[in-house]
Amino acid sequence: MAVARVPVPEAVEAAPPRALSRWLGAAREFCRARTLGAVGAAVIVVMFAVALLAPVLAPYDPEAVDFAAMLTRPSLAHWLGTDSFGRDVLSRLIFGSRTALMVGFGSSVLGATLGAILGVGSAYFGGRVDLYLQRVMDVFLSFPLIVLALALVAILGNSIPNLIMAIMVPMIPRSALVIRSSALAIREMPFVDAARAAGFGHARIVLRHMLPNVMAPYLIMLTAFLGQAVLAEASLSFLGLGVQEPTAAWGLMLRGAAVEFAETAPWMAIFPGLAISLSVFAFNLFGDSLRDALDPRLRTQ
Amino acid sequence: MWKYLVKRFLLMFPTLLGVAVLTFVLIRVIPGDVVELRYAGDRGSVSQDVLDKERARFGLDQPLYKQFGRWVLGVARLDFGESMWTGAPIWEEIRLRFALSLQVAIMATAVAVVLAIPLGVLAALKQDTWIDYAVRIFSIAGLAMPSFWLGIVFILLLLVVFHWLPPMIYTPFWQNPWENMKQLIWPALAVGYRYSAVATRMTRSAMLEVLREDYIRTARAKGLVQRLILARHALKNAMLPVLTVVALEFAFLIGGLVVTEQVFNLNGLGLLFVQAVAHRDYTLIQALVMLVAGCFIVANFLMDVGYAWIDPRIRYR
Amino acid sequence: MQGRLARILCVAVILMLAMPAGAQDKPRPGGELVFVVPSEPPSYDAHQEETFGVIHPMAPHYSTLLRVDPTDRTGTKPVGDIAESWTISKDHLTYTFKIRRGVKFHDGSELTSKDVKASYDKILTPPAGVKSLRKEAYESIASIDAPDPGTFVVKLKYPEQSILLNLASPWNWIYKADILAKDPHWYEKNVMGTGPFKFVEHVKGSHWIGKRNPDYWDKGKPYLDGYRAIFISASAAQVAAIRGERAMIQFRGFSPPERDQLVQALGNKIAVQESPWDCLNFVSMHHEKKPFDDKRVRRALSLALDRYEGSKALSRITLVKDVGGIQVPGTPYATPPAELEKLAGYGHDINANRAEAKRLLKEAGVPDGFSFVFKNRGIPHPYEPLGIWLISQWKQIGLNVRQEIIEASAYHPMLKRGDFEVAMDFQCGFIVEPDLDLPRFISRSDANYGRHKDTVIDDLMHRQGRATDPEERKKVLRQLEKRLLDDEAHVIYTLQWHRIIPHLAKVKGWTITPSHYLNNQLDTVWLTE
Repeated sequence: MAVARVPVPEAVEAAPPRALSRWLGAAREFCRARTLGAVGAAVIVVMFAVALLAPVLAPYDPEAVDFAAMLTRPSLAHWLGTDSFGRDVLSRLIFGSRTALMVGFGSSVLGATLGAILGVGSAYFGGRVDLYLQRVMDVFLSFPLIVLALALVAILGNSIPNLIMAIMVPMIPRSALVIRSSALAIREMPFVDAARAAGFGHARIVLRHMLPNVMAPYLIMLTAFLGQAVLAEASLSFLGLGVQEPTAAWGLMLRGAAVEFAETAPWMAIFPGLAISLSVFAFNLFGDSLRDALDPRLRTQ
Repeated sequence: MWKYLVKRFLLMFPTLLGVAVLTFVLIRVIPGDVVELRYAGDRGSVSQDVLDKERARFGLDQPLYKQFGRWVLGVARLDFGESMWTGAPIWEEIRLRFALSLQVAIMATAVAVVLAIPLGVLAALKQDTWIDYAVRIFSIAGLAMPSFWLGIVFILLLLVVFHWLPPMIYTPFWQNPWENMKQLIWPALAVGYRYSAVATRMTRSAMLEVLREDYIRTARAKGLVQRLILARHALKNAMLPVLTVVALEFAFLIGGLVVTEQVFNLNGLGLLFVQAVAHRDYTLIQALVMLVAGCFIVANFLMDVGYAWIDPRIRYR
Repeated sequence: MQGRLARILCVAVILMLAMPAGAQDKPRPGGELVFVVPSEPPSYDAHQEETFGVIHPMAPHYSTLLRVDPTDRTGTKPVGDIAESWTISKDHLTYTFKIRRGVKFHDGSELTSKDVKASYDKILTPPAGVKSLRKEAYESIASIDAPDPGTFVVKLKYPEQSILLNLASPWNWIYKADILAKDPHWYEKNVMGTGPFKFVEHVKGSHWIGKRNPDYWDKGKPYLDGYRAIFISASAAQVAAIRGERAMIQFRGFSPPERDQLVQALGNKIAVQESPWDCLNFVSMHHEKKPFDDKRVRRALSLALDRYEGSKALSRITLVKDVGGIQVPGTPYATPPAELEKLAGYGHDINANRAEAKRLLKEAGVPDGFSFVFKNRGIPHPYEPLGIWLISQWKQIGLNVRQEIIEASAYHPMLKRGDFEVAMDFQCGFIVEPDLDLPRFISRSDANYGRHKDTVIDDLMHRQGRATDPEERKKVLRQLEKRLLDDEAHVIYTLQWHRIIPHLAKVKGWTITPSHYLNNQLDTVWLTE
């Protein structure tokens, strides 16, 4: 039988546990016990760094057209080669991380959060509110994603904020569903009724009791959505509904020319594909391990 | 239990209605209509008069609620109208493509389940060993790759290595199963691999949870053969959330495979969707959405039935 | 690798060019031609449609009065289809066509001039509820008559050089008079023609099948037993189909990298035919919005483009190649390169051109770094690459252009509304003929989205249309071109589209033309094995 492991921070802290040291301790424990997740987290941090430092890191302007250098293979001058317009693939990849993170984080944070709010509200107020909200969520859940995306892009146009909206809308009901079932579990507990009887306001009960308990599923949904959002951007760009030229975005780099030149200039497609896969991989690994770490029933191994 | 099930059954209808209204409004908000698109060429400067007459023919000049009312009445008689783009009856347009999409969805789900359950159970039993890591990496890889990427790689591999291409024309299964399989096995594998990822993780975590239940520990302590424990107790209870995921994903597969269909050149509902939206073919879009949403809602309901049957606690909510 | 590819391409192209079309080995009867069509016909009535999705699978079922000579690479020579011969009156106002005897509809009934007249009545004066998309093209026709079953007479209001080519339109299918009399909508959902192939089946979203018409009037033809058109929308899948040898040809065109892929994979099993295309993207500037109302600014935008370098680079990645004027290079009315160079933006000294452009901008008061929005359609070939190219060229004269992609179905309404400063427009003709390619530049034309008002152009268009002497017409067209592209720079022509058709080498008897609407009846096509 495996040795039971007690989370280190609580055993080791001599001084009264301060929030920051507890978090750091938990992080250290996380890295040690769940290496895969830690690797994922590391990749995410690197991605952030690259996106922030893009103008410094990128050797060329991602939109600079140079026909003399079109379709050159990876070399010292262009580490990852150039595309059909002579644009440097590495620079486009680096700036593309900005788009990926903006769209990825934007839509998943908004989607998960709005969904969480709806889910908690629905669970807390129950009754009619719950019934109607559930129906509305059901409607959006059953609505085919592709039509929703097509319609939203056709109505709103092809810019990044609109793309975030288009990807976020299907996420809200999914998040609401999951958060609601967690919140319901809390709602059923007797102390909530007791608190109401004692005269505590709705806001206080929700914030102090329900929210902390839905933190875990919320974070898990968030990380799940991150990966999905990056993939959604890639698919929508591939279909021509996402980010448009000449902006640098990973999904856009995979469209059209990359497929046509797949055999003569494979670097055009390999690197963006790798970038997408790697980031989605990292988000998922991290989310997986986060879930394992946060699930109270699995904490004692 | 019956009261619960009847309640769930009745709730299907307002949801369907909600979907219908949402579709109706949403597609009419999109700029452009089928008439404009038919004659969008610059060469044919069709007179406004002709355009107006065409609009009247489709009923597009009527107020929204009247158009909706007409459509709902038609649906009640199971008459979904005709495609605004080709003039053919809706069922004729959808029939063959629905059969194809349904078959791919079923095959992909089968692939996913065949991959996910053994792998998930294995990973749960051997948690935190290299087997567990390998299974998790393998399944996440399926999630991480863009679906169209996998498809393009498949086709290229087939062409370059085997000098062989899947058939381009769809043969229904009952006509010629071999031809049918030759075309559909590849997208089923590509899509199935992706969906096994989610199901594998679900199976793994469900198994993990169940394996820690007290009654399992008791059974172990009593010395029953481990296999028997597994088979009888763990798997059955672990299947609940897995069932959820599989059912929901299956419903999504019908009409959701736009990119895969493009890459494998499948004449399915996904591509029909894209075309219908591009053409602003309102009647076709509405029928398709009702079909897909209907599948999803029915799948949901069946799942509720399954839940209620397996876990008695749920029935009394 | 590049060298070998280039050599294979050279050989393939030379082989195609060296042999006069049709003078190859003797045609062998039999076999089924399998080809790919990127889009499906919305309805079956060509009089009411304008997509190649109708022509490619269905043209083999029908005949037209006249057609374009299928062995002529320029696609500008009218020959008779069911018209055996014709005479033109001295005043060029009356055209008398002799209709062939023994032409049968697929149901066995015989075709007479009555059917021709009924079909043209439908095109020129459609009954209520039926559209005719090409009605305006026949404004010069005063009357049509069928005095006897073997004669069809067309009378014009004024002499028009282009009327014969106009009547050779691939859209003017001859329908059966009796059917049209009973139900003018019948042809929207049904097929009944006199063409070399009979209709077998159409499975939506999947394929279209036709089989040989044994009673075709041209004895000995068609050579094929039948054909099968497969609908495939994604171009990667189309290429895979030909590469896997499941399909033999696609009649619209492939991009250069797709061609290279096929040549590399199939070697000498593939033949490539290329031709300039009667399609072109040009930049439209809104003449009522500053600063594009100033012709100096418009000329500057054209001068900034290095068309020759652009041609070299872009022809490797997308569907453009030749630098052309208002007519497809190589056709009767096209301007020879030596003269074309004299127009603004067509000279070879790009540095001088760009210096001049900057000077013009300064003179017009446009500051350095001036920014505007360029609207474009989100279509991968060649709109996207051309858009990227244009923006990078305009950057060279200090203009900061932002591209805005408008979704395909919203694009035309946007142009019509005039909701743009500078936008990408396109011009696609089905026959290379000034009267068919240029009417959009007349001031009052509905397609004049840039809203220029130029009576000189209107006058020149009128004169070239009425000119009876080809040399005289050429002179007028030269003047029109100079006014349109140089003096006033109303629009900016980019590069001529380039049509690339790689097909399995066993497909013979098909000659490429600048139009993807021509030469689709398949009666001259045969397979070597």
